[in-house]
Amino acid sequence: MKNQVRELRTLKEWSQQELAERLAVSRQTINAIETEKYDPSLPLAFKIARLFKQPIEKIFGA
Amino acid sequence: MTTDNPNLIESVTPCSGQYSLKKDLVLNAWLLVAVIIYVVILFVLKRFPTWTPLLRGSIALLPLIPGLLYVRSWLKFVRGLDELQRRIQTEAFLFAALGTLVLGIIVDTLSEQGVKIAIALHGLGFGGVVMGVFALWLVGGAIAQGRYK
Repeated sequence: MKNQVRELRTLKEWSQQELAERLAVSRQTINAIETEKYDPSLPLAFKIARLFKQPIEKIFGA
Repeated sequence: MTTDNPNLIESVTPCSGQYSLKKDLVLNAWLLVAVIIYVVILFVLKRFPTWTPLLRGSIALLPLIPGLLYVRSWLKFVRGLDELQRRIQTEAFLFAALGTLVLGIIVDTLSEQGVKIAIALHGLGFGGVVMGVFALWLVGGAIAQGRYK
């Protein structure tokens, strides 16, 4: 699934590790989401949306 | 599901750069206890060969108690893993379990037909099954890790 996580993270000037720590997941998870190899669970997707203060459908789209 | 402090498989993998001896010991303590009890029991059973089979069997099964606690500590660890790592470990365990089942069927069938190497593998018994599961878990883990790199 396409997503805007990398773009949003870059705007905030966070590293993958920094974002991983804010979301309490591993850096590997962030990388896999950004490269679209892994779709996050719904709770994690909501957590990402809350962190970036964006609607979930704006971050994760088909 | 996310936790505030997810477990990382690297924290219990030596030479991973994030290895923690404390976490490794907490996770594997019951395995160590099981091995110690097993060694003591081997010594005791050798020293007292006249004990009844029921008593010997009951004593020989004692390592199963810390063994089950070891399984429990692994289940707790996997439950606390970060969601992607939990998926990777689930895939690796599934690969190991099904792979061992398939290999077991192949070895059993070939040994029945008198294939020498299969008979030798069959002779490894339960130890061979454990080694097979471990080896296939490593392979399955590597495949799953590669998929999400």
